[in-house]
Amino acid sequence: MTAVLMAMIAALLIPMVEAFQDEDIWQRMLAFASIATKTSVMILVVSVLRDDWMIGMVGVLILSVGNAALMLLAHIIRRLSEVMEEY
Amino acid sequence: MAGYLNLLLRLAIWFLLTADLSWANILIGVTVAILLPRGVSNPGTLKDWLRTLGEVVVAIPQAYAEAFEIMLRPHRYEVVTVDRAKPRRSPSLIFLDIFLITFTPKTIVQRYREQGWYEVHRIQRRPTQ
Amino acid sequence: MINILSYVCIVIGLVFWFWGTWPLLGSRSVLFKLHSLSVADTLGSMAIVVGLLLRIPHEWPLLVLGLISLAIWNTVLGYVLAYCSTQEDS
Repeated sequence: MTAVLMAMIAALLIPMVEAFQDEDIWQRMLAFASIATKTSVMILVVSVLRDDWMIGMVGVLILSVGNAALMLLAHIIRRLSEVMEEY
Repeated sequence: MAGYLNLLLRLAIWFLLTADLSWANILIGVTVAILLPRGVSNPGTLKDWLRTLGEVVVAIPQAYAEAFEIMLRPHRYEVVTVDRAKPRRSPSLIFLDIFLITFTPKTIVQRYREQGWYEVHRIQRRPTQ
Repeated sequence: MINILSYVCIVIGLVFWFWGTWPLLGSRSVLFKLHSLSVADTLGSMAIVVGLLLRIPHEWPLLVLGLISLAIWNTVLGYVLAYCSTQEDS
């Protein structure tokens, strides 16, 4: 299980590098969406690893609230770029 | 009829969330599920619902099959097609249709047009002429 | 037996994660990356959660809820990102 967690951390590094190096906002949004999902699944794995179900509860809560903030942010960015084009 | 499905969905979420089948909990869940407002004007027929829900169940193994397919054979080309939506769909059924198309890895709905068309973005192995 | 099955699920999920996240570093279009991310983040994560579910079946209600919300939220986020990142051409 620890090896699984290590592999997950390695996988998490890929979108982080992408978020740092790419200037385009949509590519960054993709990277952030990926980070959000991966961390919440990692929380679940940690809870199984440590056999502490309170941590798992937090992970399930994060999963069920979901990426609502990212969706709102995507709409705001879209509106902003439309407004910027008009002027 | 689709009102019952709505109720059933709420109850399922409630019992999964609480994981408690005591009488008090069932009573609270049923009361809250009935009292919550529902703004459905055109719920669609039960048959459409059942068929779409069946398609959701089928979509899960299909999504995994497509995932393995694009892993083993690279799909390098992108294309945007316009698909026709099924007629007389209520908003929640349209949502489920969009969910079904986007859930499978080869296709993503890009835009839904009011006249009943989807713009679907898909990846392919060969370029289209 | 169940232990092995759960490891198989988790390893498949990890393979999906790496395969689907790797294209992020390339220079393809946003939508192309979205296709591979839906392999990684939706299907891969679902496989991992199923693997966990096999290990601790007594917590099934919460894990099933996590599984359902994972599928729905990730798919809808994919649609929203695809919709927002392409400009309307009237």
